[in-house]
Amino acid sequence: MSTLPGPGPAPQAPGRGPARSGPPDTSRTARHHAPITATGLAVKVVLLGLVAGIAIWAAFPLVAARLWGGLAVLAATTVGLCYLYLTRRHIPAKYLVPGTIFLIAFQVFPVLYTASTAFTNFGDGHRGSKDDAVVAIETSSVKQVPGSAEYALAIATTGDPATGPLVFLVTDPATGRVSAGDAAGLRPLDAADVTVAGSGRVTAAKGYTVLNVGQASVRSEEITALVVPTSGGAVRSNGLSRAYEGRAVRAYDRGCDCVTDGETGKTWTADPDAGAFVAADGERLAQGWQVGVGFKNFARVLTDPNISGPFFGTLLWNFAFAIGSTGFTFALGMAVALALHSPRMRGTNLYRVFLILPYAMPSFAMLLVWRDMFNTDFGLVNNLFGLGVDWFGEAWSARLAVLLVQLWLGYPYMFLVTTGALQAIPKELTEATSVDGASPWQSFRAVTLPLLLVALSPLLIASFAYNFNNINAIWLTTEGGPFAPDNPTNGATDLLITYTYRLAFGAQGAEFGLAAAVSIFIFAIVATVSAVSFRRTRQQEEVYS
Amino acid sequence: MTTRPSAGPQAPAAPAVRSDAAGPRVGRPGAAVRGGRHPGRWFTQVGWRHVVGVLAVAFSLFPILFVLSAALNPLGTLSSTELLPTGASLSNFGDLFERTEFGRWFLNSLLVAGGASCASIFLSSLAAYAFSRMRFAGRRFGLLTLLLIQMFPQFLAIVAIFLIFTRVTDLWPSIGFNTPWGLLLLYMGGALGMNTWLMKGFFDTLPRELDESATMDGASHAQVFFRIMLPLVAPILAVTALLSFIGTINEFMIANVFLTDTGSKTLAVGMFGLVAGERNNNFGIFAAGTLLTAVPTVLVFQLLQRYIVSGLTAGAVKG
Amino acid sequence: MRIRTAGVVTVLGLALAASGCGGDNSKDEPAAKATSPAASGKLVIWADDKRTAALKPFAEKFGQENGVTVEVQAVSKDLQTNFVTASQQGSGPDVVVGAHDWIGNLVQNGAIDPVQLAAEQKSGFNETAIKAVTFNGQLYGVPYATENVALIRNTALAPEAPKTIEELVATGKKLKAEKKASEILCLQSGQNGDAYHIYPLYTSAGGYLFGTAANGDYDPKDLGVGKPESIEAFTKIGKLGEKGDGALKRSITGENSIATFTGKKCAFLVSGPWAIADAKKAGISYDISPVPGFAGGKAAQPFVGVQAFYVAAKGKNKALAQEFVTNYVTTPELAVALYQAEPRPPALTAAFDQVKGTDPDLAKFSEAGKDGQVLPAIPAMAAIWDPFGKAEAAVIGGADPAKTVTAAGKTISGQIK
Repeated sequence: MSTLPGPGPAPQAPGRGPARSGPPDTSRTARHHAPITATGLAVKVVLLGLVAGIAIWAAFPLVAARLWGGLAVLAATTVGLCYLYLTRRHIPAKYLVPGTIFLIAFQVFPVLYTASTAFTNFGDGHRGSKDDAVVAIETSSVKQVPGSAEYALAIATTGDPATGPLVFLVTDPATGRVSAGDAAGLRPLDAADVTVAGSGRVTAAKGYTVLNVGQASVRSEEITALVVPTSGGAVRSNGLSRAYEGRAVRAYDRGCDCVTDGETGKTWTADPDAGAFVAADGERLAQGWQVGVGFKNFARVLTDPNISGPFFGTLLWNFAFAIGSTGFTFALGMAVALALHSPRMRGTNLYRVFLILPYAMPSFAMLLVWRDMFNTDFGLVNNLFGLGVDWFGEAWSARLAVLLVQLWLGYPYMFLVTTGALQAIPKELTEATSVDGASPWQSFRAVTLPLLLVALSPLLIASFAYNFNNINAIWLTTEGGPFAPDNPTNGATDLLITYTYRLAFGAQGAEFGLAAAVSIFIFAIVATVSAVSFRRTRQQEEVYS
Repeated sequence: MTTRPSAGPQAPAAPAVRSDAAGPRVGRPGAAVRGGRHPGRWFTQVGWRHVVGVLAVAFSLFPILFVLSAALNPLGTLSSTELLPTGASLSNFGDLFERTEFGRWFLNSLLVAGGASCASIFLSSLAAYAFSRMRFAGRRFGLLTLLLIQMFPQFLAIVAIFLIFTRVTDLWPSIGFNTPWGLLLLYMGGALGMNTWLMKGFFDTLPRELDESATMDGASHAQVFFRIMLPLVAPILAVTALLSFIGTINEFMIANVFLTDTGSKTLAVGMFGLVAGERNNNFGIFAAGTLLTAVPTVLVFQLLQRYIVSGLTAGAVKG
Repeated sequence: MRIRTAGVVTVLGLALAASGCGGDNSKDEPAAKATSPAASGKLVIWADDKRTAALKPFAEKFGQENGVTVEVQAVSKDLQTNFVTASQQGSGPDVVVGAHDWIGNLVQNGAIDPVQLAAEQKSGFNETAIKAVTFNGQLYGVPYATENVALIRNTALAPEAPKTIEELVATGKKLKAEKKASEILCLQSGQNGDAYHIYPLYTSAGGYLFGTAANGDYDPKDLGVGKPESIEAFTKIGKLGEKGDGALKRSITGENSIATFTGKKCAFLVSGPWAIADAKKAGISYDISPVPGFAGGKAAQPFVGVQAFYVAAKGKNKALAQEFVTNYVTTPELAVALYQAEPRPPALTAAFDQVKGTDPDLAKFSEAGKDGQVLPAIPAMAAIWDPFGKAEAAVIGGADPAKTVTAAGKTISGQIK
């Protein structure tokens, strides 16, 4: 790690030079290997032991389920962690890895998975695999054979109740005849060998053990899978106490890759591009499956006039909303924090407690309360100030109202953060300027604000990014409205994300693929903006760090 | 974590800060005299601050007053409520505990939010330290990624969360669906996000001389982090802990799909259930619950407040 | 300094303890959990919060009687979506409870299985309810309650039930002039409209949503929104709106409509059985009658919705789920109990007869829904709600009906595949 020989502290002592000029990753850390201390070692051993313990605990189910891939990942992670913390190299990684593991598992993976669905038709009606769709089509076409009997059912076995082979003991209510059925078919039982209860169900039979509900319920999957073939169809269980003779009207044929209706003779052929079975007349079966569609969703975003038409207007407001939400909350939060930041202020603790209350209340509840407060006839805002403003009915008043709600919800956050950051500014600095005769405003501009921005500008970018996609702020208040009478898909306060949400989930079924594609577009926009503004923070970072 | 006396690494830093401080100190007594003796100036020095404070508190409180009056209103509907309480009845609070598992939800929330915020400030302060103090390949890319990953809409990620946790529940039911531990793990995924940015900005404002001199003095990077940096950033640790606590206790979207078992729910999920599907008439109970939800947050704030307001430089100097 | 260090150390200690506890506890639990499912099967039911509370005692009873474990879990928001997502991944419940208009979507996602009811079981149900849960010729759920809106009026203010909407408006205006009420009619709309509540007026004025195919099913290809009939209907609705009679207002929302009625600020409320509890609590003397139509118009038909139990296609315990849904939910005892938890007319005729003697409101609600239309369960219905509601709100606010409805019709047909 260290390329500099010996301790050599003297050349570096004056200051920050190395951060900009020297070889970046060697100058600051581990100039000479610090001695390993006993406590440090003990902590390290305990923590790594804990990691190993958790890994072993986690390994057993993986082994039992024969998930070797998962086991390999687990082992690699554990070994990697042990290596990382036992070696003296890779110091930044020691600090980054713990959080990053969680980040990858629970944020990066979901995001990548979601992004990948943008290239599919994933959505309602196209969620699962083709096999799932075939099973669903066949199962949902099972009908009772006309005129067939409704049997009373008892589940029995010839062996152990937990493991023995299952047999259906069915009683025909019309004749009272009892038959035993399994995969081989139905065979009548001698009336003398069985005991039948009043309900018609067999309670005991010679050579069989009748299962009670508790025993049977454990073997539910086997019971559902057991189909007793008959001439007209098959006897299937319907729950645990009744059986019926049913027949799947529709069947899938692998040969023609199609589904045929046994009653009408109509066939639906698989269309691998659409992920659905389509008949000659264009009729589709409802149950489809997920297929890749390439860039179709992206193309739709660009070409569908419903989506691309209002795009730029919405984008503009989206920026205004995100900048407004961040800017106003920051301005107000900072103003209040500055006002309370004085050694001579009394009762600041009390002020602070009240000020953070808006942030402490569940935001979805407060959004609903605010929506109600902006009601034209019944709302508190109009009633209190004697106004008759149709707040959510006019574009500009709705935008103002939304920003006001954002201000209320968000400024305590900025207040808190600024209060924290103000502590970092040495009093001596501000006092020095006031001794120099600067007005409070000048000293604020010259000293306090720049220092605050060093600490907070990354946060402001983050806040901007968060508000850019702040779906709840709009969805729980205006729902994107007001809408022009001739365009119910795009409202005056719609953000790109709420607009997407409406398009993707307001249709005949949710279209996750389309939503993911639009999200990727939004993501690209915000990422560009953030990256550019982030670039500008580099200078600050280097100046003050 | 270390056997070395803490005075060692800090010793070289102290004089530097002191020399900065030397000048202004002279001016300080004068300022106090000016403010204290002339009552007319009291307003320009302190009084206006109270005016701002009171106005801000009024702005903060008036929607909450509305909620309070709903909680105290025995009819407890959203719109029969006026700004000022029309009746004073605690029946909504009583109902809350009788008709729902509010107590359980409360404990679950404290567990999840408390655990998540502690673990998350730990993880993110580690990362922030690396991002602020070390230079390595991919540093700025990592920071940017951290920011951008937060921007992907969460409602789309729910499918993937089901995908992951269905597997996890099958394999390790004790950290699967309907367990606080699973939810805690899931929240850990977001631990780095905003918190790292917040803390990194704060670490950046600390003079590098502090840790550089300690390093020169022979302290290891871990010693620098735990013994020097962490105590200095106590205010921001406290702020982050509080923000993370609030964020977790109010988190709804993921918790709603994650916790379906009544006994395992958190406050946000349980309380949403009170208003959802009830078409307005549970609002009194809901309002009562909303107010009680704010109680732990306020307590945590009180607990952390002295870290938040205690001066950073004071800590560095008095060491 | 010392205090602060101690604080930080404590915080970090807690963090470590929290993660440590996670590790420790998890080591003990799987053993305990693994043993319980082996003893008996487990049935998991998902419902919304209100029904969860009502179902719990009966589910437990079912469990005890049969030696199985039954868990009723509440999903507060997006129950339908979460059920579909969870089912597909294999972590869904065995039984789900929800409105019948979910069926189309649940079927297209392969999330539920048809249920087989014996002929005599089927005949025990109200015919509308059975029709509602039938989709593509198959029965997909077991209904337990029906619901529809009616006109609830404050008899102290309006003793007579109005026969037409014009009569209602005249009474309302008179009450408003006499300062006995501040609103003519409480029919919730909000800024974005409410298709469900306006529907009786829409049908009375001649509008329709979907035509019916030869077999009686709704036909998504014949969309009524945007047709001349719908424009005419919206013109009539617009005349009742803010620029006209002022009977329909966007400021009356789902949150405040019932409260405004119980606060005696309006004499008429269009709402469902769920509003009755509030009216009783507020001590209002009320009566229930069908929602009146326009004079000389068609019958005002409210939507009839049905609440039902479904068997999840990918449940872990399907046999037990079928047993519960087909043999237990079909008993009148459960239906009566569910009614007592939430007063909606039971779908089971025997249960309905049993409770109607003690609750006159019930018969009045079902009378009001007699001419009602079963809420379409076809997936295309999902595309209707939002644009239709917004068109309603715009027209109430005074927008041009022809332009508005045509735009809504275009949006809807664009969303239907």
